[in-house]
Amino acid sequence: MTDPVGSTEETGTRDVLTIEGLAISFAQPRPAVNDISVSIRQGEVLALVGESGSGKSMTARAVLGLLPPGARASGSIRFHDQELLGLSERELSQVRGRRIAMVFQEPQTALNPVRTIGWQLREVLRAHGSISRRDARARALALLEQVEIPEPERRIDHYPHQLSGGQKQRVVLALALANEPELLLADEPTTALDVTVQAEILTLLRRIRENTGTSILLITHNMGVVAEVADRVVVLRQGDVVESGGTAELFRAPEHAYTRQLLDSVLTLPEAGDYVHSVPGPEAPAEHPALSYESVSVAYGSSRRGRAFPAVTQVSLDLAPGEVLGLVGESGSGKTTLGRLAAGLVPLAGGTVRLDGEDLFAASAARRRELGRDLAFVHQDPEASLDPRMSVGASIREPLDIHRVGTPAERAARVAELLEAVRLPAEVARRRPRELSGGQRQRIAMARALVLKPRLMIADEPTSALDVSVQADVLALFRDLQKEFGFACVFISHDLAVVNSVADRVAVLRHGEVVESGPVAQVFGTPSHPYTQRLLAAVPVPDPSRRTTEQVVEANRRRAG
Amino acid sequence: MLSYLVRRIPSAVGVLFAASFLIFLMLRLIPGDPVDALAGQDATQESRDAIRADLGLDKPFWSQYVSWLGGLFRLDLGQSYRIGGDVGDLLRNGALNTVVLTVAALLIALVLALVTSLVAVIRDSRWLNAALNAVNTIGLALPTFASGLLLVLVFAVVFPLLPSGGTPPEGYLARPDISVQYLLLPAFCLALPVWAGLSRFLTEALRSQLRQPYITTARAAGVSRTRLVVRHALPNALPSAVTVLGIQVGTLLGGAVLVEQIFTWPGLGSLIELAISGRDYPVVQVLLLLSVAVFVVTQLLTDVLQAWLDPRIRIGGAR
Repeated sequence: MTDPVGSTEETGTRDVLTIEGLAISFAQPRPAVNDISVSIRQGEVLALVGESGSGKSMTARAVLGLLPPGARASGSIRFHDQELLGLSERELSQVRGRRIAMVFQEPQTALNPVRTIGWQLREVLRAHGSISRRDARARALALLEQVEIPEPERRIDHYPHQLSGGQKQRVVLALALANEPELLLADEPTTALDVTVQAEILTLLRRIRENTGTSILLITHNMGVVAEVADRVVVLRQGDVVESGGTAELFRAPEHAYTRQLLDSVLTLPEAGDYVHSVPGPEAPAEHPALSYESVSVAYGSSRRGRAFPAVTQVSLDLAPGEVLGLVGESGSGKTTLGRLAAGLVPLAGGTVRLDGEDLFAASAARRRELGRDLAFVHQDPEASLDPRMSVGASIREPLDIHRVGTPAERAARVAELLEAVRLPAEVARRRPRELSGGQRQRIAMARALVLKPRLMIADEPTSALDVSVQADVLALFRDLQKEFGFACVFISHDLAVVNSVADRVAVLRHGEVVESGPVAQVFGTPSHPYTQRLLAAVPVPDPSRRTTEQVVEANRRRAG
Repeated sequence: MLSYLVRRIPSAVGVLFAASFLIFLMLRLIPGDPVDALAGQDATQESRDAIRADLGLDKPFWSQYVSWLGGLFRLDLGQSYRIGGDVGDLLRNGALNTVVLTVAALLIALVLALVTSLVAVIRDSRWLNAALNAVNTIGLALPTFASGLLLVLVFAVVFPLLPSGGTPPEGYLARPDISVQYLLLPAFCLALPVWAGLSRFLTEALRSQLRQPYITTARAAGVSRTRLVVRHALPNALPSAVTVLGIQVGTLLGGAVLVEQIFTWPGLGSLIELAISGRDYPVVQVLLLLSVAVFVVTQLLTDVLQAWLDPRIRIGGAR
């Protein structure tokens, strides 16, 4: 087979893990691994990059024998001189956690919900040799300190649900580090986190490497993350290695067309000073804004028991007809709540929501339904928002059926028209959602949203579940559709670059309040609020020569301290 | 936790009130008159009227209901029409036997379900799963009278190891070893469907927990399978199993009536059979209300237990 990538480039450092000719196959046809050879040296951060179906996660799971049932792996995975493929479950449990540890993507579900943090750390320590209760607690405290959890003495007795997402991921890291492994496999460790938290976790990973000499195999789809932390990069596509090399060289001169495509599809933000003062959105707004929030507030939970939690506080925003307003903010900032408010889906605690000048919450139920015809939703996960039992055509047609628009022939014609608008062949109408790819499904969701010719669309993270290259296509399509149909849109996203590429204006939300709003180029180019500035600085830049997050984290710490 | 319990009490009391009315009404809607049952076929109209007045059945419906409720509050459960004697005394005699039987059955079902489902999930062997599946299906499908007779046939007739029926002659505490012998067959017979249902549910709950990401985390850290199942997955599967067990208590109460017949176990089950056939309103009313009360209290307890087992409910979302 091919030489393990880069194993001979530098001498003096030995390989910790060598994967040669790894192939993984399944009984049913599904994305698998064809032929992957990778090696990782001591103390190195190696990034495994690729889109969904590239085999990056499967490769990491194969190392620890954690493949899903029914998967068969062949080839060779050597850890120092020990062959890992084919080890028994008992032999593997000697390696797992003790010598090679793994961190997973979703911190919300990676911890046992009914056990305390301390219990889980103790359990992991106990898995590799007996340790007294008191020693285990001391070690657990030290670990929590190592992953920089504030107040470890208090946190150790907490349950996972009492921690924030970032803190949970730190605990997951502490679990992985508990038995001082030589190699850490990190599978998309920051993908589920907010950008500012992502920056902190990346810094922590770097610090762990420096302090302990642990090698890190980082699996990610995010070129920005790669540029921030990786020493070397291996690019995967559909189960094969496409290209590999040092991070700096690979970003400077990508050789393979696919690598270039990956790098090109990374959306960028305007640089400071890019702002040209000539982007005044659509001309003088019509008599009514398409949507207006007048100092609206929303609270969740029961106020009767005094446990009301303010989700949105005193937000005022206007959306002109045909305008795209981006809502950005981290989790818990209230951006989704604002979107749902426009459809009357959440109870209003104060203020007024007007659709085309009409007070939505004062309207009768029948009138609200009528207003609902002018409003459409596109959700984050097209897989979950399309009924798997309905054909795609039926899904798109359903709003027409519900509102009894036109004859059956006219409805069918409208479905065909929309499929063409989202650039899918007409025969797709007969298929089921599961026969389509993620990007195709999101196009279907858009077609369904547009079927009643809405004047307002609420798009809640419409591209977050998609691969970057697909995301670029879907965003381009969105822009075209918006121009063609002229609907106003509230575009909700945690990804500043995505909003930058589609929105006319943007509002930055934090803890349910608007921190800053204005034309996109102005807010992102010359942010005036410190929070916006921090948010922008935390976005990893796909340029290894400008590793910024460390400074951001430092700045945050100084501010906090 | 306590405040949660207190909050739930008013609705539980409401359910009991509604149940008391429905039971009272339902009994009077069922064809058949207690006076007929008592007076016999040849009685004159005068003697029938006398009996009716004596029982208070000539009064209007509402006044009968209110006087019954009033009696309940004074713990005066009334006099039995047909069996004779104070309803309270009749209950006391049977209640102990039934409580011993059902609690024993509950414990047997719980322990057996825990053991079988844990072993099945830890071992994860095809043969063991198939065998347990077969036993489960039989346990669920076999009617109590059949399983009861089968048990008697095998363990008391063919192999005379255990008594075929009756309660321990010297009481439960005098000779615990003998009590266990008497209890074993009826309690196991009663436990069989509950065990089968619970173990099937728990096995599936454990398997679905094992597919959760937190299990992968622990597995990647080198935790052994036995520990994964017993210490990680089980505490997560228990709360829903508790709910299932709470619902199964109803099965247990219903089953007790049959099991007591088969094993000549003098509990409330034989009493209710006698009372219903004799249109003995006071006895039937109290027994039905009692079983509703047991069910309501069980639901209350399972909800509290479930909340206590899950720290997300116990501690709430304070960060």
